[in-house]
Amino acid sequence: MTAHTRPERPRPQRPAKRQMVLALLITLMVTGLTWTVAVSLADDSVRTPLAWGAGAAALALCVAVPWAVHGRAETRRLTAELAERRHRLDDFADQEVPALVGRLRGGASTDTALGAARPDNNAEAKVLRTLAEEVGRAEAGKAAALAAGAGAAARLQALTIGMLAELRDMEHRHGDEDVLGDLLLLDHRTAQAGRLADSIAVITGARSGRRWSKPIVMESIIRGAMGRIGGYQRVRSHSTVNVAVAGHAAEGVMHALAELLDNAANFSPPTAEVHVYVEEVQTGVVITVEDSGLVMSDVALRRAERAVSAKELDLSTLSGTRLGLAVVGRLARKHGLRISFRPSARGGTGVLMVIPQELITRPRSPEESPSRAAPAKTAPAAAPLPAPTPAPEVERPAPPAAPAADDRPPATREHSPADPTGTDELPQFGESGLPKRRRGRTLANANRQERARQDRAAPAPAHSPAESAARFGAFRQALQGRDRATGDQTELSPREKSHPEEHTP
Amino acid sequence: MTRPGRDEDPDRLYTVTRGRSRASSDAFDLVTLVVSESDATPGMQSEHSRILRMCQYPTAVVEVSAELKLPVTVVRILLSDLLDSGLITARHPQTAGSAAHLPDSNLLEQVLVGLRNL
Repeated sequence: MTAHTRPERPRPQRPAKRQMVLALLITLMVTGLTWTVAVSLADDSVRTPLAWGAGAAALALCVAVPWAVHGRAETRRLTAELAERRHRLDDFADQEVPALVGRLRGGASTDTALGAARPDNNAEAKVLRTLAEEVGRAEAGKAAALAAGAGAAARLQALTIGMLAELRDMEHRHGDEDVLGDLLLLDHRTAQAGRLADSIAVITGARSGRRWSKPIVMESIIRGAMGRIGGYQRVRSHSTVNVAVAGHAAEGVMHALAELLDNAANFSPPTAEVHVYVEEVQTGVVITVEDSGLVMSDVALRRAERAVSAKELDLSTLSGTRLGLAVVGRLARKHGLRISFRPSARGGTGVLMVIPQELITRPRSPEESPSRAAPAKTAPAAAPLPAPTPAPEVERPAPPAAPAADDRPPATREHSPADPTGTDELPQFGESGLPKRRRGRTLANANRQERARQDRAAPAPAHSPAESAARFGAFRQALQGRDRATGDQTELSPREKSHPEEHTP
Repeated sequence: MTRPGRDEDPDRLYTVTRGRSRASSDAFDLVTLVVSESDATPGMQSEHSRILRMCQYPTAVVEVSAELKLPVTVVRILLSDLLDSGLITARHPQTAGSAAHLPDSNLLEQVLVGLRNL
C-alpha cells in the first residue's frame, strides 16, 4: 500500500501542500475502490464487519499516507536549509570575519568596517558588531601606544642629538686632558642612549634619528656604528674600500651595523675582539661582522635569519631586552639591505650585511678637498733632495668594480705632486699676477732650510724685476686715474686692463 | 662648525682616539712643527693618512687641528701614535734670534707712510 506514495518522489519540488492533497486523493481513490470491490465480493455473512473494518483501515490509511508524505517533504526541506546554513556559516567564518578584521587593521573605524559587512541575520550582525568593537578598540590602543612610544622616542632622540652636539662643542672648548676624558665618557654614554632611542623609534615606526645631508664614507659609517655600542674598543675594522653611503640611508646602515656589532660584542667573551671587514662586490658592498663568541646553533641561526628577513614586524615576538634583530630587520626592509648569518671561521658567528649598489656613492677625492691638496703641490719644492713622492691615492688599489675606475684617475693626476709642470717653483703666481700664499708658508719661512732654498731659487722667469716695476707703475697710474700711454706701457696694458679691480685693495 | 649638530661627521671623538684622552708623549704643543716621514698607506685611519699628507710640508700642530676640525688634545693623541710608529718627526720652531730678524718699527712706519702716499 505504501507503494502508492512512490510516484511522488521524482517531484520533490512540488509544494508540500499539493503533494499532501494529491496523496490524500490517490489514497482515497485506491482505498475507496478496494473497499467497494472487497465489500461487493465478500460473503454476506462477513460483509458488514468487513465493511466496517476495511472502512476504518481505509480511513486510517487516508490519514497516514498524506502525513507521511508531508513528513518526508518537510525533512527534505529542512535538510536543504541546514546545508545552506552551514554553507553560509562557513562563508561567515572564512570571509566576513577576516574581511572585517582586515578592514579594522587597515585603519577603518568600527562603523565604516561594519558598514561594508553583509551579515545574513541578526545573530551574525551581533557577532560582527561585538568583534568589530573589540578589534577596533585593540587596534586603537595599539596605535595609541605606538604613537606615544614614537613621540617619546623622538623627544629622546632630539635630546641626545642636542646633547651630542653640545658635548662635541665642549670637547673642542676644553683642552684639559682630564676634562676631555670625562667628556668623552659622557659622549659615549649619550651615544648609547641615543641608539636605544633610535631603536624604539624604529620599532614604533617613527623616522630614524637624523638625516645626513652628504654621503658618509665607509670609515665614518663603521666608526659611527662602533661609537654607539658599549664595547667599541674591542671592534677592529679592516677596510680599504673607498666608498660612501648615500646620506639618506647612512643613518639606517649605521644603526643596523651598530645593532649587529652590539650583538657580536655581547655574545663573545669580554676580551675577544670583534672584526669588521668591508669589501666591494658586484652587487654593492659587503660588511662582515665576525666574533669569536658563542656559536649559534642551526635553530638559532634560522630564527635570527627569520627575524631580520620577516616581511612584517610582529610586535608580539618582541622582548624588552632583545630588540636588536627586530630593529635590524626593519631597517633592512626599509633600505633594501640583505642580512645573513653563518658560522664564523673564527669560531663564533659571522653576519653579512650587503648594502645594495644604489645606496653606494663614490667620493671623487675621498679624504681631501682641493684646499687640502694645495700643500702637497708645493711639497717637492720644500724638500728638494728626496725624489718626488707619488700621491697617496696612486697607491690605493683600484676597486674591483670596473665603472668606478673611470672617474678617479683625473682627480688623482690633479692632486699628484709628481706632476712636473710648473708646480715646483716658488712663489706661485695666480692669474692676477700676484703671488699666492700657500698654507704653511709663513711658518716654513722661519725654517732655515727653507731660506737657504729660497736663496738658491731663481726668480720666476716670467716676472723679471723690471717687469714687476713696470707693472707696479701701471698700477699706480690706474689708481690715480692718469692715462699716459707711453711706449713701454702699451705692451702691458691689455693684461693690466683685464684685471684692474684685482689690483685695488 | 656653522651649526652644531648639523652636518658634522657621525664619528665621535672617542672612536677617533679609540677611547684615549691622553697623548702617550708630550712632545707636542700648539706650535710644534710636524713633518711626515712616510706616505699614507691604504687601510690607515683616515686622520692619520690626512696628517701624513698634510705634513709633507712642516705644519704646526694647531694648523693640523684646524684642518682636521678636531680638538688639539685629540690631534696630539693622533700625532703621538704616528710619532710612536716613526711615521712623523716633530720639532719646535726656532724662536731664538727671530726678534733680530724683524725689521725695526721705524722702517715699518716708513713703509706704511709710503703706502698711504700711493
